[in-house]
Amino acid sequence: MAVHRIACLQVPLFPLAARLRSEPELRDEALAVLAGRANAARVVAATRIARRSGIRPGLTLAQARTRLPKLIARPRDPECERAAQEALLDVAESFSPRVEDGEEGLVYFDADGLDRHHGGEEELGRTLMLAAEKRAGMPVRVGVAASKLAAHLAAGRPGSPHVVVAGGEAEFLAPMPLAQITPQAKTLVTLESWGIHTLGEFARLPEAEVVSRLGSAGEDLQAIARGEDPRPLMPRQPPPSFREGMELEWPLVNVEPFIFVARSALERIVRRMEGHGLGCKRLELSIELEPDGHHERSLDLPAPTRDVKTLLNLLRLDLESQPPGAPVIGFTIAAHPDRPRSNQLSLFGPTALSPDKLATTVARLFALLGADRVGSPRTVDAHRPERFALVPYSPPSPPKERREVKNGQSFLAVRVLRPPIEVEVTTAAGSATEEVLARPVSVKSLAREEEAKKMQIDGRVHVASGPWGLEEDWWGEAPLERDYWDVELSGGGLYRVFRDRGSGDWFVDGVYD
Amino acid sequence: MNLKSVLPATVASKLRTARELAEDLQRTEEDRVFATACPAFDRLLAGGLQRGCMVELVGRRSSGRFALVHSVLAAVTGSGETAALVDLGDGFDPQAAVTAGVDLERLLWARPRHLKQVLASTEAILQSGMPLVVIDLGMPPIPGGRGAEASWLRLARAAQGHQAALLISSPYRASGTAAQMVLEARTARARWLGYGSSPRLLQGVSSRLNLVKSRTFQRGPRAGAGETLHLSMAEDLQDGFDDAAVDLVADPQQRAIA
Repeated sequence: MAVHRIACLQVPLFPLAARLRSEPELRDEALAVLAGRANAARVVAATRIARRSGIRPGLTLAQARTRLPKLIARPRDPECERAAQEALLDVAESFSPRVEDGEEGLVYFDADGLDRHHGGEEELGRTLMLAAEKRAGMPVRVGVAASKLAAHLAAGRPGSPHVVVAGGEAEFLAPMPLAQITPQAKTLVTLESWGIHTLGEFARLPEAEVVSRLGSAGEDLQAIARGEDPRPLMPRQPPPSFREGMELEWPLVNVEPFIFVARSALERIVRRMEGHGLGCKRLELSIELEPDGHHERSLDLPAPTRDVKTLLNLLRLDLESQPPGAPVIGFTIAAHPDRPRSNQLSLFGPTALSPDKLATTVARLFALLGADRVGSPRTVDAHRPERFALVPYSPPSPPKERREVKNGQSFLAVRVLRPPIEVEVTTAAGSATEEVLARPVSVKSLAREEEAKKMQIDGRVHVASGPWGLEEDWWGEAPLERDYWDVELSGGGLYRVFRDRGSGDWFVDGVYD
Repeated sequence: MNLKSVLPATVASKLRTARELAEDLQRTEEDRVFATACPAFDRLLAGGLQRGCMVELVGRRSSGRFALVHSVLAAVTGSGETAALVDLGDGFDPQAAVTAGVDLERLLWARPRHLKQVLASTEAILQSGMPLVVIDLGMPPIPGGRGAEASWLRLARAAQGHQAALLISSPYRASGTAAQMVLEARTARARWLGYGSSPRLLQGVSSRLNLVKSRTFQRGPRAGAGETLHLSMAEDLQDGFDDAAVDLVADPQQRAIA
């Protein structure tokens, strides 16, 4: 039978480690994490500095403060702990695809064959400890064995990493007390009344006799005591999104302090996504407001990116444009991942842009200019000259070979004025059979138009060509009927002007340049 | 006797003649230059827009400056490269650009509102490795002023650092001493079809393009050199209009003006 190897990552004092991961500045302080509400809250974990002053699990806050008045107290934060657990799972997933979530700072994964990549299971354990410290921001202990219980107990032994040699699980477990496999209290009392105190003694009992007296639960317990897992490793599904967040100790009313705390959460998310080779395509922010409000928003990114600065800028701009409206007391950031774009490089053709860099640049431009002012232009199937469409910028792969540039005819371009500038136009009265065909004689900017004052489109018409009729949407509610003229003014400048047939007003909508 | 013929094949394959070396050098230099589709512009730029260089193109309204921007974008995107247009004037017309030959799929269009955004956007785009960035500052006055010279120097350095060609199209000198080459497009003379009382049709413009400053050490024209630029009216620019009214008879009183 093939012997499977299972590695166990265990975070000692997990509630404390998760809190310190979110608030690393408290690492060198006397900090205690408490569970429970109000006066019933009790210490569950404390930093080494606090423990030196006698802070122990089970003390109430009042008792702890009596021993150490400067003790910093923090409640258990489910959001922090969930994010820390996710980070631990991410570390394990960077080593093996089959990872089981053991919850509360415990992770198991399939370590079959990994010893060959890392020069032995001891070295694998050391690499895991370094990776968890660096990427998850928490110290871990590592145990490697053939069963989950043995790996878990090995991780709890001093001198991590601890490796239980293949086939030596029963021997490793034998001296351990029965309480380690957490049987029900009734079963434990029964076994102790039989004079059974260790796992080894329990494992040596005849299996049939154990089943006849303790039932199927007894059979499972004996299998565990022999170093066999009653159920196999249950790999988890990869998360649909990466989430980080925390409950704040005091309400935040300004954007800047919020951005400060959001930065560290985003950095952690980006680090986790990096481990999976993913980028952020959509960012969701969920904010808890004082006293009991809730605010959610989402930001779509033009392309997957892992640039924290860009993500923060987008978050800041979004918050500034739509403030939550009440003090913030907690938040969760969820990043929806996507594979960063890849591109095949060409040896002879034009150099392709790095998709990762391009995604970051476009996201920065989004943050700087706004989503409606960055993209790739497109033509629209319509007649009005100011027509255009903007689509997300995603250039096609460059051709295999650089195309030759042909020297051709250079065309006169039109610089479009958006929006068109209203002008006062004098026409040659009585010169035409119909008023709509009257030729412009002079053009003058209207003083009330701010743009017109800046643009200074004034002068007598030197040459005029037109009119060019334009009718669009005549079937709709807002039909467009214009008469266009190309005019050259005496002071210089070639303009495209039009008269709106509905209102009779004149506008300049383009400059030939 | 040919030296290569008497040498072992492994050694002979590594030997290069002076002509081959010169050709290689020329090819490398060509790779570093973006030829535009406008020969007059290319001649003044000594072959085209150089990678790592900042070139400023100055011209008042209707001088053909924007047409040159289109021409550069058309040549670069048409060759398969990507390009960015930072359009402060927001005057870019995709339809006209397609007529000029611009491949819109390869063009990144940023529309800042003032000069500060222009400088920040351009710097961000240059950092992405974009080979050509064109800034069009629109028509005067430039929103946000001329900007600090240090900012333009910073952009010039960024262009040099990322080996990108940076073209600034401005109504007046804005970049101070930062640009390595400055060209000026003089106010154009319009060319009209039709005389006297007959209907007129805009045919194009003729402009004079002068090299005002050149700080490059390569072969090419010196400051003061000039070229005539002929820009013709594209038929597509009038696309969509009903031209039945062209037959309008001009008012005799306006003949003198016309």
